[in-house]
Order: sequence, then structure tokens, then C-alpha cells
Amino acid sequence: MKKVLSVVLLVLAAGAAAGATLLPFSELLISLAPGQPQTAYVTTGWSTRFGGTKDEHGPLFGIPIVVAAAAVLVGVRWRKVAFAGAAALAGVAGMLFVHLLNVISFHEAGNIAIDPGLEAGFGNGIWVLIGAVVLAFGAVVVHPDD
Amino acid sequence: MIGRPTAIALIAVGVVLTATAMVLPWYSTAYGGGVEVVVRAWGTEIVNKPGDWPAGELSPWYGVPVAVTAALLVAGIWVARAAVAGAAGQAGAVGVTAALVVSERGHAVEQQGDFAVGFGLVFLVAGTLVALAGAVAVQREAG
Repeated sequence: MKKVLSVVLLVLAAGAAAGATLLPFSELLISLAPGQPQTAYVTTGWSTRFGGTKDEHGPLFGIPIVVAAAAVLVGVRWRKVAFAGAAALAGVAGMLFVHLLNVISFHEAGNIAIDPGLEAGFGNGIWVLIGAVVLAFGAVVVHPDD
Repeated sequence: MIGRPTAIALIAVGVVLTATAMVLPWYSTAYGGGVEVVVRAWGTEIVNKPGDWPAGELSPWYGVPVAVTAALLVAGIWVARAAVAGAAGQAGAVGVTAALVVSERGHAVEQQGDFAVGFGLVFLVAGTLVALAGAVAVQREAG
């Protein structure tokens, strides 16, 4: 029973982590001129877009996330690998969270003069990623391979 | 097979390299007019800031997650599992940093800036790899 639960949690964790890369990690809304509608600056694991324009050099956070998720998946067979994968996923999530926090606070402080009504915040992707970390560690706890 | 003393020594070297990385520049981009953006573990410095740009405070605090993983590595000298958590976590954090470095380099080239990787990043990567080797060895010794 523990084995089944562990496998389910590990697969869910890896799937959630991979899925998180497709969701927004941060969403910044700004109006570049008075009276103009706000434009969204959205970063996902695979692209950064400002309105309809793609940043050709946007950071590909999806790569380290998918690699860590793959390690979590391999952990279905070995508990120690599952633990290492969960830790790697936590490291990715931690560093990404710090980076996004900086991007959001920088946007809020740096552009407030351009658009006092600007909005900035975390996207659902980072919360799903953190959820994946919790699931992965939960799977390690119930993993029977000791 | 690496014995436990060697494994512990590798973790210790990894921690020292990581700690050194925390005080050295990670990467920088130089633009025309002597403007240079230098990214470190505890903040970003803009040399010859042109006027009010950028208006916001650039303080990424990338050092926070790395400090946590380094602390786990130190604990790993006594607890094998902490070593694995620290090394794997640090590898994950370095992965995100690598994605940022590639992105920043692309932006710098596009804007005709001069991008350079700092010794801090070199020490961080080296420290992570050495600590990872030590953590795996400690875990194997623990059985």
C-alpha cells in the first residue's frame, strides 16, 4: 500500500512540476502611457512575453525544473534518488522564488512613476511548483525502499 | 570506492568553495559609458548608474537558498542525508542560476554589452560538483 501511495505521489509531483513550467511564474501589468490599457509581462518556464512580443533571450527555467522532475520520477525505484530529486526540486523552487521576488519588487519600485496603477505578483506556476516539492517529500516519507 | 574521510573532505572543500562564491561576483555586463551591472550573491551593483535608471532596488539575494544548502552540507558531515539534500538542492539552485546566466548573456549580446562570468559562479559550480561527489560517497558509506 505504501509503495502504491509513494509511486502515485512521485508521479503527481513530477507531473505537477512539469506542468508548472507551462503556467505563469510571475505576472506584471503596466500601462506605458496614461489612458492606455495595461500590457502583461508574463514569465513561464519556457518563455517571457511582453504583450504579444516574445523575449528571445528569456530564461528557460523549465530546463532545471524538468531535470529535477525526472530525478523525482526515477525515485519511484529508489528511495534515495527520490529524496535527492525532491531536494533538487526544492533547490530549483527556492532559487526561482528568490529571483521572482526580486523581479516583482523591482517592477513595483522601478516603474511606479510610469504607471501608479501597475500590478505585479506571482503566477500560479510557482505555487504549483512548491506544491510539487511538498508532494515529492511526502512520497519520500512513505517510500518503502529503505 | 571513496572512503568516509575522503568523502567528508570533499564535502568540506565543496562548502569552502561555495562560501568563497558568496563573496565574489557571479557575472557582470559592461555597457557603453562605463556602465556595469555586477551580480553577486547578496545584491546587484550598478557601477556608473546612468541617472535614475534603474529606479528600483536590485537586490536578488540569490545567496539565501545557497546559504541554506551550504548549511545542509555542513550538517552532512554528521548526517549523510543532510549532505545529499544540500548537494542536490544546491545543484537545483545552480540550474536556475545557469538559466539566468544564459538569458542575461543573450540580452547583453543583443544590447552590445560585454558579458563576463565571474569567479563567484565558477566557484559555485565547482563547489556544487565537489560537494555532490562527497555527498554521494557519504551516502554510500552510510549504506
